[in-house]
Amino acid sequence: MKELKESIIKRIKANFADAVERNDFKDNRLDFSVKKETIPAILFYLKDEMGFVHLSDVNCVDWLEDGELEVVFIVWSPADKIKVFVRTRLDRDNAVMDNLDMIWRQMNTYERELREMFGVQFTGLEAPEEFILEDWQGPPPFRRDFDSAAYAEKTFWHRPGREDAQDVRESIADRDGEEIPDFAKKYSR
Amino acid sequence: MREKATTLYIGPQHPGITGNMMVKVQVEGDTIVKARTEVGYLHRAFEKLQESRNWLQSFTLLCRFCVPEPDPVEESYARAVELLEGREVPERAKYIRVLMLELARMASYMLWYGGQNGSLGLYTMGQWSVGDRNYILDLFEELTGGRVYHMYIWPGGVRRDLPDGFADKVLRTMDYLEKRLKDYDDLMFENTIFQKRTQGVGIISKEKAVEWGVVGPVLRGCGIKSDIRIDDPYEVYDKLDFIVPTQEGGDIWARALVRRQEIRQSIRIIRQVIEKMPSGEFYNRIPNPHKWTLPKGDAYARTEATRGEVGMYIVSDGSTHPRRTHFRGAAYVHGITLLEDLLIGENVADISAIMNSLGTCPPEIER
Repeated sequence: MKELKESIIKRIKANFADAVERNDFKDNRLDFSVKKETIPAILFYLKDEMGFVHLSDVNCVDWLEDGELEVVFIVWSPADKIKVFVRTRLDRDNAVMDNLDMIWRQMNTYERELREMFGVQFTGLEAPEEFILEDWQGPPPFRRDFDSAAYAEKTFWHRPGREDAQDVRESIADRDGEEIPDFAKKYSR
Repeated sequence: MREKATTLYIGPQHPGITGNMMVKVQVEGDTIVKARTEVGYLHRAFEKLQESRNWLQSFTLLCRFCVPEPDPVEESYARAVELLEGREVPERAKYIRVLMLELARMASYMLWYGGQNGSLGLYTMGQWSVGDRNYILDLFEELTGGRVYHMYIWPGGVRRDLPDGFADKVLRTMDYLEKRLKDYDDLMFENTIFQKRTQGVGIISKEKAVEWGVVGPVLRGCGIKSDIRIDDPYEVYDKLDFIVPTQEGGDIWARALVRRQEIRQSIRIIRQVIEKMPSGEFYNRIPNPHKWTLPKGDAYARTEATRGEVGMYIVSDGSTHPRRTHFRGAAYVHGITLLEDLLIGENVADISAIMNSLGTCPPEIER
């Protein structure tokens, strides 16, 4: 496994000068950070030349304090049994990168979600504007500076009827003039 | 003469749909010419909610990512946390986890038996298999306190040890279910209606399966041997003897045959687990969850569920709460791009059967 990992690192470094690797994982994982311009080329290379045919996952992390969004791609090689993480950082205020759904068709769905939830724009992405959210006008809701609790407080209202915190059993007994039996009292508030 | 195309909305409330989701199709006569999956009826922003909970509090959300089979999600999250922290899990806990995962696989397949047959108008099968599934839920209830949602597999091991006499009950249940599978075969696979409605329908070619990111029984139904339990082993699957069934054809029938064989393999695994399970600790205690921090970094753990690969990606900034969590579900790939493409050219009456055969689980798509 160690030799295999090192040979993969060597090939990636030879073809992509900007790739910064991490190889301190005990399991079958490798990790490369690259510039966003390199992403299509490195993913094509991993898939077509190195057997990483399976796209396991795509996701995004908001590093608010750095002013950056990090997009992470996880690919898997069924032949070598290794997973490779490829990551890149985008400017939070100008989060644009190339469309990648010609590499894996299912990438289209991931891109739609990242566009809607994190505001990452994929140049050339052909897909309906809306994915999960409907008529959403606000900022991308999965970014760290979007306060879901404050939004919910402002937008929705509390359902009345629970303020008095009345016990249901007691309420019924009061209404009907009944006595709660002793054995049931311990369950009342 | 070209027939006029009509738009039909299948869902979001429809008995043939596997949850709240809509497939908008254009049909010419009975033939589908265009399909589009519309989601947005179930989004609960679980991933965002997890950011405001500590590492342990997420478990009440995790089991709700996909209702029919919550345990693989719990397991992948627990294992991702353990990977990031470097926490050891006792051997006994690993065996118990495999027991849980395989019982969950069987329970989920039994629900699928009902769904797949129901989608073709064959309702007896569902009544049998969902009834029998209750015996597995009884086991879950005894072990975890919950029938459907368990919150049992957690970082460091499992929540409690097996109760006295539990192993015997599991074995007795397996003996019963194994006998019942013969009846299922007679009712389902020997049924001409089931054969005619599934053979040659919803075909996925081998090349396409790889290209479009197909996973799990759907991929194995295309003749490709791929299973995370073997390829990227976790827990104690590498110490157990079982086979990964495959079928040629890539149609609904092939996928059904794969699942039929997998239930038998699950029974085989469960018997081995009971036999080989060591005694000892079942939980490597975590610190006070409110003060429990994980080291900076990220981890991704993936598990083989009945729908295929499910995975949990977690990121820690060194605090008591996740910086970000992301759940990867098989339905995310199967239910949108693949389904939209697969339906073209199929008969409108087969939408539900195809969807069920892909293991589409809408809450997994939206989370």
